[in-house]
Amino acid sequence: MGKYLAVRLADSIPTVWLVLTLVFIAMRILPGDPAIAALGDMALPEQLAEFREKMGLNVSLWQQYLNFLGGVLVFDFGKSYMNGAAVVDLIARNLPYTIELTLVATLMGFTAGVPLGVLAATKRDRLPDTGVRVFSLIGYAIPDFYLGALLLIVFALNLGWFPINGAGEGFVDRMYHIFLPALTLAFVKAAFIGRLTRTSLLEVLGKDYIRTARAKGAREPRVIYRHGLRNALLPLSTGMGLSLLATLSGSVAIELVFNRPGIGRLLISAITERDYGVIQGGVVVFALLVVAINLLMDLLYIVIDPRIRVQ
Amino acid sequence: MSLNRREFLELSAAAAALGLSGPSVARAQSADDVIRIGIAANGPRTSDPNQTTQGSDNWATEQMYEQLVRPEDGDFATTPDKYVPTLATEWTTSDDAKTWNFKLRPGVQFHKGYGEMTADDVVFTYKKAIDDGTNKTIMSNVADVVAKGPLDVEITLKSPDVNLLGTTIFSNNTCIVSKKAYEELGAEKFMTDAVGTGPYELTRFDPEWGSAMKRHDGYWGEKAKIGAVECVYIADTTARTLALLSGNVDMIEAVRAPGWVDSMLQRDSSLQFDMTVPGSFNTLHINLTRKPFDNLKVRQAVMYAIDRQAVADALKPMGGFMAGLQPDFFPAGFKTEALPSELQYKYDPEKAKALLAEAGFPGGLDFDSNCSQREDYSSTMLIVQEQLRAVGLRMNLIIGDHTAYHADNRSDKNTLAMHSSSYPPIPTQLYFQQLSSKSEVKADGKGGGNYSHYGAAMPGIDDLLAKALMATDYKTYEDTCKEIELQVLRDLPLIGLSTLSFTVARNGKVNLGYPVKSGYARWRFHRATKSA
Repeated sequence: MGKYLAVRLADSIPTVWLVLTLVFIAMRILPGDPAIAALGDMALPEQLAEFREKMGLNVSLWQQYLNFLGGVLVFDFGKSYMNGAAVVDLIARNLPYTIELTLVATLMGFTAGVPLGVLAATKRDRLPDTGVRVFSLIGYAIPDFYLGALLLIVFALNLGWFPINGAGEGFVDRMYHIFLPALTLAFVKAAFIGRLTRTSLLEVLGKDYIRTARAKGAREPRVIYRHGLRNALLPLSTGMGLSLLATLSGSVAIELVFNRPGIGRLLISAITERDYGVIQGGVVVFALLVVAINLLMDLLYIVIDPRIRVQ
Repeated sequence: MSLNRREFLELSAAAAALGLSGPSVARAQSADDVIRIGIAANGPRTSDPNQTTQGSDNWATEQMYEQLVRPEDGDFATTPDKYVPTLATEWTTSDDAKTWNFKLRPGVQFHKGYGEMTADDVVFTYKKAIDDGTNKTIMSNVADVVAKGPLDVEITLKSPDVNLLGTTIFSNNTCIVSKKAYEELGAEKFMTDAVGTGPYELTRFDPEWGSAMKRHDGYWGEKAKIGAVECVYIADTTARTLALLSGNVDMIEAVRAPGWVDSMLQRDSSLQFDMTVPGSFNTLHINLTRKPFDNLKVRQAVMYAIDRQAVADALKPMGGFMAGLQPDFFPAGFKTEALPSELQYKYDPEKAKALLAEAGFPGGLDFDSNCSQREDYSSTMLIVQEQLRAVGLRMNLIIGDHTAYHADNRSDKNTLAMHSSSYPPIPTQLYFQQLSSKSEVKADGKGGGNYSHYGAAMPGIDDLLAKALMATDYKTYEDTCKEIELQVLRDLPLIGLSTLSFTVARNGKVNLGYPVKSGYARWRFHRATKSA
């Protein structure tokens, strides 16, 4: 297992390097000048030159690239052009909020999505099935930022049940603040998971061993949950990985709408301000999270299906 | 202890209810003694007034720091005699307007127990601004700052400046900071924990959330009526608007787009709107190096084709009209009727067409121009585009990212470049930044903000500007600035499109204690009260 992990991690190095290089190039191609973004469009040429020198933007692109890669190796992304804070500190402050949002949304999405999928599969072509399919369709179609704004207006502004923005302090307050943004992401996730569960379970429910279980007199809940759902978990776990990644990227818009701290909001503001160090640092973290989630999913396959062995 | 199912459910419900109500109760208890403002930016960059590069951060620095002199709250000092004593109680200037002496107010205490302000702190602040400030332009004329006594400071200038109070003394970069605090904390810590003399002192600086301040009990003047101020950063327009409507914040920075105020009033008619006049100066640079805009007749056609009153009206109540480059109540500003008739440029599309025909373009002409996607830029330029189209000036407007737009402008990539900037009643600042040959834009990005190339592509106002800047009496200064206004209206390298007020939407329960009439995009809350 250890060797497998090492090989998988080594495999991911070129991917991460490629992502870093693409981001570095993309930032330099993108029109806009970090010095003007930081000092204003009427800054004097001397002020701009001084800023570029201070931030290492006056050296050649190759030198900037090597400096960047060298920094990545020791997890040092330099300082923010805007406020002088260490990029690593900015990420460390924001990352927990994004992870927290992703996990809570995933939990909520699965808690709602799996039972909905089971309901739809077991009541195939009947009203509950149609209901779940319509729900899935809406979940797929509605943009998360729009749904977020809608929930904010109804539940925070008009009913006053939830806070309008921020992330809260202390566990209870944080959970209170996270409910609406997580619900927004969970809605989309539940739609996806519900549909996936339905499809996967329907396929399993047509297998011989399900018929055998029923013939042996097993009760229907046992047939569905013990024999059916358990075997439907493998494609579901693939879906979970994809869904987790989608939630991670979806958090960008949600953090803005709900004015929550997080890596997404940090990245958006950094892109607006051409804060290269923060963008590069944020993307590295996102890339590492994607690699970690993919690896985790692969390991989960082994746990779920003992027939899969590490080769 | 064991719980049955019913007890468990009851306890869970109680815990959930407590969790839901807890934060609301906490907010309600403190709400009357705190003012929260929703700032239209992602997060504060610094609390050191010397290092600010983001205008929004000034909402916090305005509460925490003071200069030697200030205008009345909610206003600009349009002439030097309108400044009021603040950390200085009196001041004198030499006949050549090059030596200024300030007597400091005794007994002014810095925040957090850093002691009494002295001349050393003033000298330290000014030298820090000269060496390391983010706006060295305003300090470039300062030759030296010397402590002549514990409460006596002398500033000597390289050239005369009859407007020193406006150009240099009343500036963010010259907010007086504590020398002792700076030396103890170090430059980096000072960025997020600066120490001033203002009515509020910093208690929290969070780069994601914002800044919090509490009343400075040792303040030399009338103590702040509200106990705390919080500047909460909410960049997203929808989130900021909802925060105000829900009562989560007491005021927000407005969206400066047509119809925004009306839409807010439809939602809550009790909202109040504070607006500075003029706010931003929206100008339009005509690139004189791009044919056919080097032709005066074409520029005159552009001027006659743009209905500037309509532009201002479309932006109402935030928009305002400018006959030249300054609003009429600013020094050197003209009312339309006070201008020579040929320089009034009253909207006349037929005349614009005739001028175009005279210039050799009877069928009009096509050209590209870049524009920022930011609401104030795009809404103004879309109106201008339609007005120009009506006379045959077909402007293909390429709307893009705001940061990229400015970078492109600074690299001379635009034909008609709109610019929006705030200026105090010091006309020479606009002339220097947008019209002097020293500020001419360069293709390599190393130039300045004169996107028209005025003064280089054709003779400009450099001589007049030098004369104004060397004036040793205010009348000469103002008269020379008026000459510049007329010269620019004759040459038309730059058009004053409109002014656009900085606007804050405020909950009606908050009373600022003074009317906001003019000034920079920030105002103080120390006189504010809040009704239940």
